[in-house]
Amino acid sequence: MLRFIVVRLMWMIPSLIAVSFLAFVLIQLPPGDFVTTYIATLAASNELVDQNTAAELRARFGLDQPMMIQYLKWISGILLEGNFGLSFEWQQPVSELIWERMALTLVLTLSTLLATWGIALPIGVFSAVKKYSIGDYVATFFSFLGLAIPSFLLALVLMYVAAVKLGQDVGGLFSEKFVNSPWSFDKILDLVAHLWVPVIILAVSGTASLIRVMRANMLDELNKPYVTTARAKGLSEFALLIKYPVRVALNPFISTIAWLLPNLVSGSIIVAIVLSLPTAGPMLLQSLMSQDMYLAGAFVLLICALTLVGSLVSDVLLALVDPRIRLE
Amino acid sequence: MTDSEQPTHVHGEGVGRRAMLQGFVGAATLAAMPGSVLAQGAPKEAPELAKLVAEGKLPALAQRLPASPLVVKPIDSLGRYGGALRRGLRGSADHNGILRIVGNQGLVKWNLAFTQVEPCVAERWEVNSTATEFTFHLRAGMKWSDGKPFTADDVVFAIEDCAKNSELYKSVPSQLTIAGKPAVVTKVSDTAVKFTFPSSYAMFLENLATPLGQHPTLFAKHYCSQFHPKYNQNLAAAVKAANMSDWPTLFRAKCGDIEIPSRWGNVDKPTLDPWILVEPYTGGATRVVMTRNPYFWQVDTQGSQLPYINQLTMNISQDVESLMLDTISGRIDMQDRHIDALQNKPTLSQNMQKGGYRLVELVASSAQQCQIYLNMTHKDPKMREMFANKEFREALSLGIDRKEIIDIVYLGQSEAYQTGPRPGHPWYHEKLARQFTQHDPKKANEMLDKLGYSRRGSDGMRLRPDGQKVFFAVDVIPTLYPDAVDTLELVKRHWAAIGVDMKVNTIERALYYTRGDNNDHDAATWPGPGGLDPMLDPRDYFAQHPQGSRYAIPWTQWYVSNGKDGQEPPESQKKRMKLFADASATADIAKRGAIMKELFDLTADAFETIGVCLAVNTFGIAKNNLKNVPVKMPNAWSWPNPAPALPQQFYFSS
Repeated sequence: MLRFIVVRLMWMIPSLIAVSFLAFVLIQLPPGDFVTTYIATLAASNELVDQNTAAELRARFGLDQPMMIQYLKWISGILLEGNFGLSFEWQQPVSELIWERMALTLVLTLSTLLATWGIALPIGVFSAVKKYSIGDYVATFFSFLGLAIPSFLLALVLMYVAAVKLGQDVGGLFSEKFVNSPWSFDKILDLVAHLWVPVIILAVSGTASLIRVMRANMLDELNKPYVTTARAKGLSEFALLIKYPVRVALNPFISTIAWLLPNLVSGSIIVAIVLSLPTAGPMLLQSLMSQDMYLAGAFVLLICALTLVGSLVSDVLLALVDPRIRLE
Repeated sequence: MTDSEQPTHVHGEGVGRRAMLQGFVGAATLAAMPGSVLAQGAPKEAPELAKLVAEGKLPALAQRLPASPLVVKPIDSLGRYGGALRRGLRGSADHNGILRIVGNQGLVKWNLAFTQVEPCVAERWEVNSTATEFTFHLRAGMKWSDGKPFTADDVVFAIEDCAKNSELYKSVPSQLTIAGKPAVVTKVSDTAVKFTFPSSYAMFLENLATPLGQHPTLFAKHYCSQFHPKYNQNLAAAVKAANMSDWPTLFRAKCGDIEIPSRWGNVDKPTLDPWILVEPYTGGATRVVMTRNPYFWQVDTQGSQLPYINQLTMNISQDVESLMLDTISGRIDMQDRHIDALQNKPTLSQNMQKGGYRLVELVASSAQQCQIYLNMTHKDPKMREMFANKEFREALSLGIDRKEIIDIVYLGQSEAYQTGPRPGHPWYHEKLARQFTQHDPKKANEMLDKLGYSRRGSDGMRLRPDGQKVFFAVDVIPTLYPDAVDTLELVKRHWAAIGVDMKVNTIERALYYTRGDNNDHDAATWPGPGGLDPMLDPRDYFAQHPQGSRYAIPWTQWYVSNGKDGQEPPESQKKRMKLFADASATADIAKRGAIMKELFDLTADAFETIGVCLAVNTFGIAKNNLKNVPVKMPNAWSWPNPAPALPQQFYFSS
């Protein structure tokens, strides 16, 4: 086990280097650069950039140099000094910008995960055990609805109803007076009061698919001989379900941890944008749109690193939970 | 610049208006004395500040105001103190949204009508007869927002040490140069500063009144000099401590520049603005909050210190739709940016009652809503030959059914138009504006036949003499100008009727710019500017703007590089370049108008751009209880609305 982990960790290094290069190239691929996008954005409000300034900006950010040089400058800064550079747009250190948003992102993602699992697991098990009952049909109906409705649309509709019909404040994670106040009990209460809207919106689609997965897995397991054996031995129905088929059916949930970590950064971008949530997603999109090289590059790198770590963690967890799986 | 309305010198006008204002103050005070106790007892400063003064935490008002503060005549009525103005910003590249509400404190400013330059930071000025020397008189006792005095030294520092520093600005900002040479700024006294130019620069005051002309009042010497190597020997250590690569980066991060986000990212930087930063505009910010500047140097006609409104709260929305939602649900007090798209108007009108707001008309400063630039310097010689032929362009223009476009796309809110200063502007040019705007497909067909495009292909489209189809693509950015896409779709149909095949090439904006910069486009479209400010944005009148005059980018490169790069333009263009230089050097407005008329004559004869209709007015919203907002105002970058309408005199009636 230990050897497995070490080997996997070693493999991450070349993967990350390859990924960093790819990320850099991909971000540079669209036509134009940060300065073009900057000029175009200002021009959209009929605002002009002084001609001299544009050329100067390009030189200052090193955008007039060949891509290889730009890449080497960037990557050597990261490797040698741990310096991710300055965001072109904000002139602030990239690492500062990213970490600032990670805490709330973590809270949101974890709450969503808990909500999703909390709803999906029991309903999935119920659906499987009471197959083709009215309850199953109702659950199936709603889970297909949840799958079919795009979450950003749900967000917009909810916001419209809340804002225009009910006159409530829905955007963001805090009310007006708590936005920049220091953390306090009241602020946490305020956060919780705002958090449920995005959590529900995000959970709806995730729940739906998980219910289907759980139901299918359970149906596979329920007819297996070991279940019959256990039942024959007189185990109560509830204890039996929890102890055997549910445990086996959980495997896919553990596999999802692999993409759970990168989702911290890149998940639910559209919903976060619509709801104006101060999480990492909108900033990632923004940096890509404005071709803010260093900020976008750091994000992509972070996502890749999290994917690698996530898949390692889920492999290890799977082996621990399911003795049938061997790492070697 | 409709400054030719009164054929007098701009500075003369400015002083005249000021004298009138002062007269008004006197009258108002006199009238108030016996009558209204209320007006007499009106507080001279905000209660919050009065409290601080009483507690001894702030100097008394008289010490905070200059000896002669700028007197602002409220648009409708005197206001009352208090309230917070809520606006919306976008999460990226929206720093100018802040500039447009607070950052308009240059040496001079535009008047409300966008016709002449008025005193602002400078209380008056003198210009010599050749327009090479400008002496500005500052206000004695004026203070930065941290209470430190603002003097001529600050202006000299901002220009001589900062704007002219080649490490900070590779080339001196163009507003401060004439014919490639920068101004020399000298201190005359503590309250007088002189700008000397090597040659005549009659447009200097107008340029100073635009946002890009704000350098003289941008950098507080006592604060910003600590980030300047000339004044701080230990700067290298500070640069290192801040983890920056060099001192200009640190300087920019701390002191900003006119239009970069970091101008609004440092709460410690002293400014001359009516409101100062509390919560800055940084990468992770979800809102920007500004509070009143206790040292703001403007008063209303009763002598009460401005601004009336305590605080600005600008929430950052990532998405324009959620900004719209905030607007119609009444959580925005004033907004035009981002929501002023034509397709939003029905929604905004419908929800006026519910949201408790009214619409504010924004007069378009552009001339043309959808200018079509055929690339007359196309890389393909055959295409170039076709586009460069004036009769070909005439035929295309006659082939457009403008009435149909105006009725369908612009809901009847416009009129057929080519280009040139807008109707009502003193420089309005009938021929330039209206030639070839009638719909005459028969004549267009005849002209195209005569030009050698009479053969038709199997699909009924015309063929060029070399057998290729008469076909070109028009670049347009759908995310920026959805209406232009609709317009072009109709134009495509009209042109198909005269046998010309066109493709509406909807592309992403960075690609649009890259294609333009590389001269790779067949044709492109953009709103044609210069309707209210022909002197400040003449890109459609001759090949002036390397990213804007899209009918001949290489000519513009020739122009801006003084003949070193690009391609040599034809004679008519060269004459216009010369005429524009003459006009810019002419202080006398009537004479300048005469020169510009000559220029417009040449533009009309050359007929380089094909226009569709007059730029359509847009609108913003203001909450019903927000007073002193003009019913209509220009919508321009040179007049960075709403700042010249003076938000410091807006107030909440309840």
